[in-house]
Amino acid sequence: MLYKRKWPLLLFIVPGLLFMFVFLYIPFVENIKNSFFDMTAIIEMPGTKWKFIGLENYKKLFVDQDVKTAIFNSMKMMVLTVVFEVGIAFVLAVMVSQIKKLQQVFRTVYFFPVVISATAIGLLFKLFYNYDGGMLNQILEHFGKDAINWLSPELAFIMVCIPTLWSYIGFYFVILLTGLSDISDDIYEAASIDGCGHFKQVFHITLPLMKPVFFTCVTLALTGALKVFDLPWVMVPNGAPQGVTHFLGTYMYQVTFGLSNFDYGSTLAFLIVILGIVISRLVGLFTKEKEEGR
Amino acid sequence: MKKKFLSLLLVGVMSTSLLAGCGSSKTNEASNTGDTNEGQVATTEDTSKKNPVTIKTVSMFGGTDPNAVVYEAVNEEFAKEYDYITIEDNSQSSDEDWKASVAADFAVGNEPDVIQFFTDATANTILATDKFVTLDEIRAEYPEYAQDTMDSALDAVTNPDGVKRAVPTTGYWEGLYCNKDLFDKYGVALPTDWDSFVTAINAFKENGIIPIACSLNNVPHYWVEYLMLYASGSENYTSVPDKAPAEWVKGLETFKTLRDMGAFPEDTDTVDDAYIGQLFRDKKAAMQLDGSWFAGGVTDTENTVVIAFPGIEEQKAEAGAMVGGISSGFYITKKAWEDPDKRDAAVKFVEAHTCKSAVQRYWEAGGAISKAAVQVDAIDGMTNLAYSALEYTNAATSINAPTDSRLGQEPYAIITSNIVKISTGAVSVEDVLNEALSLYAQRNE
Amino acid sequence: MVTKRNKKIKPSRVIIYTVLILWAITTIFPFVWVIINSFKPSSEVLTSSFSLPKAFSGDNYITAFSRLNVLNAYKNSLLISCSVTAGVMVLSALMSFGLTRYQFKGKKMIQSLIIASLMFPVFSTIIPVFRMIVSWGLLNKNIAVILPQIAGNLSFATVVVTGFMQNVPIEMEEAAYMEGANVFQVFGRIIVPLCKPSLSTVAIFSFLWSYNDLFVQNIMIRDNTKFPISTLLQQISSLYGTDFGLMAASVAIIIIPVVIVYIFLQKNIVKGLTAGAIKG
Repeated sequence: MLYKRKWPLLLFIVPGLLFMFVFLYIPFVENIKNSFFDMTAIIEMPGTKWKFIGLENYKKLFVDQDVKTAIFNSMKMMVLTVVFEVGIAFVLAVMVSQIKKLQQVFRTVYFFPVVISATAIGLLFKLFYNYDGGMLNQILEHFGKDAINWLSPELAFIMVCIPTLWSYIGFYFVILLTGLSDISDDIYEAASIDGCGHFKQVFHITLPLMKPVFFTCVTLALTGALKVFDLPWVMVPNGAPQGVTHFLGTYMYQVTFGLSNFDYGSTLAFLIVILGIVISRLVGLFTKEKEEGR
Repeated sequence: MKKKFLSLLLVGVMSTSLLAGCGSSKTNEASNTGDTNEGQVATTEDTSKKNPVTIKTVSMFGGTDPNAVVYEAVNEEFAKEYDYITIEDNSQSSDEDWKASVAADFAVGNEPDVIQFFTDATANTILATDKFVTLDEIRAEYPEYAQDTMDSALDAVTNPDGVKRAVPTTGYWEGLYCNKDLFDKYGVALPTDWDSFVTAINAFKENGIIPIACSLNNVPHYWVEYLMLYASGSENYTSVPDKAPAEWVKGLETFKTLRDMGAFPEDTDTVDDAYIGQLFRDKKAAMQLDGSWFAGGVTDTENTVVIAFPGIEEQKAEAGAMVGGISSGFYITKKAWEDPDKRDAAVKFVEAHTCKSAVQRYWEAGGAISKAAVQVDAIDGMTNLAYSALEYTNAATSINAPTDSRLGQEPYAIITSNIVKISTGAVSVEDVLNEALSLYAQRNE
Repeated sequence: MVTKRNKKIKPSRVIIYTVLILWAITTIFPFVWVIINSFKPSSEVLTSSFSLPKAFSGDNYITAFSRLNVLNAYKNSLLISCSVTAGVMVLSALMSFGLTRYQFKGKKMIQSLIIASLMFPVFSTIIPVFRMIVSWGLLNKNIAVILPQIAGNLSFATVVVTGFMQNVPIEMEEAAYMEGANVFQVFGRIIVPLCKPSLSTVAIFSFLWSYNDLFVQNIMIRDNTKFPISTLLQQISSLYGTDFGLMAASVAIIIIPVVIVYIFLQKNIVKGLTAGAIKG
């Protein structure tokens, strides 16, 4: 009854929608338009006309080696975030839920890296990895070993993934831990009486009951992985070394602001959004199916 | 995130500078500045009656650029001298997103009244908006405008369309910085040609010293310029062909030769330019190719010298060919020119920065080693570094503007962003050059 | 809150504590490292970054504070982040209320639009947004950062708050209506107080993300007298990137306020985030 009269609705949803339209959807459409022109600056200069270049940029997408690397790396990152971020977070959450002492301390401490800006973490790890006098090489030196180039083409991708994954584990940890504490103790008690061991309990009780929480985590992890930007950009700008660490976000940034190729940058931005929507759709479908099948 | 860029006059390196005694006569200079400015418009006596006016100014003298100190000091003196003029200044070291925002300002009519900016192809985007007053127009009203500036300097900052608009302060050069003490320690001679250069590289390599401090990922620009210049000779280097010339290709292929010799640091693919400068200053690297602005950050000015680029195999350039020039200056926009109060204030502002005394200060702040746009007075107590720079520049057989001043930003970035891959042989130099040149052709049809 | 199954014997407990403590060390160590090294001169960082400083010296902090206007940067950052937080809270509460309490045509569509906006990384819209900001003459003003950041955080916030609001029973609202309250009174006096946990989560995350979001700040604020704190860090690292002691001090300067804020508010993070995220 209260919500029969619809006019207040306008006041509730229009301001928010307006923001989204102006700052997300209009730019999205503008990017599509821009991708068909040879932009010489961010704005069309008075007295000049941008040349219409049709599908040039899209053709380039298919032959550009760096785009392939970027897509491939971003996909790899998605898999890694799901497996390691959510995985490690789950293991830690199960462990913390088993103990009483220090629980609060662990909760606080594990969340630290989430609180701190990715830029600061990036700079920090740069100091760790630095070839000349970096922390890791200082350790090696201490043990009389030769310095290692931690960001060599072979190692760079892993070295970039470590802080990226590590820094957000706390985020999923907190979500999963609360999910775990929502599971009633009675179920575990009953299982114990039936002779179900601790380890088995995790697989037979905890995991199935946690399904919805897991799907939330997976969705957030996947979209998060697609948006990865600050950390790799601070540590290994321009896909260094030798273009092996391009991610979609960092490559788009390099093309746009490093190479001033605004139109190709717009094309990449369009690609990123489309990929994001496709992936979240896929996850959505998967989730629905599972939930219905329950 | 911000990319440092070679062709800028001004990317300051570190805050220390080797200048001596700049600003010792500040008060004098301020009054001098006043005199030079006031000549033609008889307004000195009644400045108080002037309408209050605010001018918006933008320059690339920001950050740790040694010029920034002088720029701010001149502005302060200017504000004292003309109390009816308020300066709203917004200066910053130039980088890619800054250039994009300046361009955007011009596009939407938000341009400043005075701007110190590039005069080469980098300025093309902004020049297209036709928002600057030409030097001739200004001189028609103010005949003594830029009277201290040498004609050769004004010629040097002619825009690519052949019109003069800007008034410069100082220029720059690029050269090979060497840690002379390292050369002496290992008994290596300063390189004078390709062979002695290779000998030096190998000698340092054997002794565990990095031969060349350079970040191929971050700032390979100086090497791009010199390798191309020496492979092709001044004339070929300074022309823009349709297709990649064999000489340019050969020049850039030298990156691979050098890399394979182990001339660059182990982490050249990832390290930042700032770290590179530190390697050189810490005597962990023997040589570094850099611009005149790098001299300001050199701490050991007694054992560091600048020499001419040694050369490459079968070079076409004459020994002593140099990359450098003057490529930026102060412009006045039409927006300011069309407002009578602002016009006068803008002209005074530019004169305050480009008159002899101001340029002398800029020149000294930069270590008294660059090329000044006015006749500067020599200073006493030159360091070894400054002395070697003077010798180097005096012996230069030709002065060539770098490639980006002809190609423009976007085509040039295609080349520099591919240097790492060129050095490993992952891409073909010819393809990269052709891509850059065809974009240039498309833009300049 | 805690599961109480203490029937297991000790050895497994030892392993659990060992693993948990080891992980805790990884999350604490970097910050301890930063703090320790921020009191050393650069050369000492390079040679012995593990030992305590030979002499605790505040030089790096003095340099940072004297070369850069740190206090002003804090002020700018706080202004921006607080405005973003307030904006996001208000807009997301309103939106969620509209979406959970009203049935209307196009609701599905709006919901999927919101989910889709989660997929918009900020850098994918930056060129057009930058163009808009410039043409509105807002460049270098705090509002130039605030507006895009509100838009960027809004979809996450709406998802969290909607998830929470869905589970708030409608009976109280009906009762209030019977007593003559209108929609706005219901919203202000019943819904908002009930949704506090999710709103505080939204507030904390909006604040953190806004404070830490270098990208938008870097592009929109070019005037160094108006730099917020992260931009200042960026500037330090590009100008003094090889002065490792100074770098460590700057990193410390940036993270200390958020760590303090976090420690004070952390209980709310846990409550709201899980309540919203799980159900959403």
